[in-house]
Amino acid sequence: MTTSAPRDKRLPNPYRMVEDQFAIGVQLLGQVLILWFQTLSYMVRGQIDLKETVRQAYMIGVLSFVVVGITALFTGFAMSLQISRELVQFGADTAIGGVVSLALVREIGPITAGVIVAGRVGSSVAAELTTMMITEQIDALKVMRVDPVKFLVVPRYTAALVMIPTLSVYAMFIGLIAGIVIAQGAANVPPDTFMDSVKQTILDRDFSVHFLKSIINATLIIMFSCAIGLHTRGGAEDVGIATTRTIVWTMISIFILNFVVTSLTYAPR
Amino acid sequence: MSPRKPNEEPVLELKNIHKSFGDRQILRGVSFNVYAGEMLGLIGPSGCGKSTILKIICGLLEPDEGEVIKRSDEIGLVFQGSALLNSLTVRENLAIALQRRKLSKTEENRIISERLKMVGLEGYEEYSPTKLSGGQQKRTSFARAIVNDPKIILYDEPTTGLDPVMSTIIEDYMIELEQKLQAACIVVTHQYSTWTRAGDRILLMHAGKIVWEGTPEEGINSEDQYMKQFAHATREGPMLAGAFEG
Repeated sequence: MTTSAPRDKRLPNPYRMVEDQFAIGVQLLGQVLILWFQTLSYMVRGQIDLKETVRQAYMIGVLSFVVVGITALFTGFAMSLQISRELVQFGADTAIGGVVSLALVREIGPITAGVIVAGRVGSSVAAELTTMMITEQIDALKVMRVDPVKFLVVPRYTAALVMIPTLSVYAMFIGLIAGIVIAQGAANVPPDTFMDSVKQTILDRDFSVHFLKSIINATLIIMFSCAIGLHTRGGAEDVGIATTRTIVWTMISIFILNFVVTSLTYAPR
Repeated sequence: MSPRKPNEEPVLELKNIHKSFGDRQILRGVSFNVYAGEMLGLIGPSGCGKSTILKIICGLLEPDEGEVIKRSDEIGLVFQGSALLNSLTVRENLAIALQRRKLSKTEENRIISERLKMVGLEGYEEYSPTKLSGGQQKRTSFARAIVNDPKIILYDEPTTGLDPVMSTIIEDYMIELEQKLQAACIVVTHQYSTWTRAGDRILLMHAGKIVWEGTPEEGINSEDQYMKQFAHATREGPMLAGAFEG
């Protein structure tokens, strides 16, 4: 359980701080794992509130489309410019499409959607659940014998499992459109040549990895935000602390697990 | 309060309840019974453990020591801050409590309308709790607490923060519900009007213990040092002794 600690006027002991943070981290990871198993057990039994899931899908997915689109578009522009410049120098301008699409499918698509949704949705879920804890709404659910995991976490996770991979694919397509525009404008590569290069480079396995990363991101965003939200007590200050913790833990874990998946699937053997 | 039958069993029994949070001992051997159709007022200064007792009764907290015997699993709790789910409508807030009974939609709506009528909120079914006044939110919380006809109703500071007129209305609802549902009720409060008007029997708590028991009339006229200080709201007495020194 997390609450803001009383102010201590003494200078902090760095060893003690590291020890405390390690203990808090281990505790949080334990809470995340338990919550994940509880959520999966409801989902496997088909105990999913469809109406609430649709509402959450709208909040998580539909409301993120514009911001994910803008981010993917400008990331695609910047990346394609860099790649085009280098490949044109080596006379490999027909490979621009392949290189851009590889980066988009394997890394940029899932990461862009993951980071944006973590910032937009993860923080809002953590703030909402923490406020519900503080205002005793979660206690009210328990008194009515309604499991907060089934009522609050399952619809959010189900919605995220559908919407975050959708947003990743969308980010990938927007990035590709940006790549086509830049390749045409900066390197005189026609869209047909760009797309031929894409088709020759991208493998089915790349899409599998893309979806795997998106599903991992969805799990990290929802589980960290819900676990932190459901274990925080205190006052208004603790809502802010819970939101910050969610962003920090989700972002770090997204980047670490993204690397782990990449290294397991693409590392030279 | 309805007259008690001979050898009547209490609906709720608390036996020697102890509870600590870290080093702080909140409850130190609290025992009492509550009978059907009785409103027990649990009064005392802030931080003396009143709300902790309610949380233990409804299973939100486990006692470190002692036993809670409930002769009904159906418990309704009215929270201090109403605790309505703001993302849902008034009707949906009540419907959650009915979920496990797996009723038909018609039956569910009938019960919800009936309960809202009981608390004077007919026609508010599709309102969001955020659009209701403090008093209306409190009454919605009442309706939610009684939607399953509980045999135990717990009120946590039901009139705190309300104006005197609304407090009187809420107290009237409490008295009416106690009689209608013949439930064992506990009201945690430090509002004078609430424990004197709604309480059939009063327990005064101080530092995690029950220090006085009696009827509200006895409490007002009591010469007991704790009860006298609490009832007359004076600084002179054993409560908070030394709290403002140093």
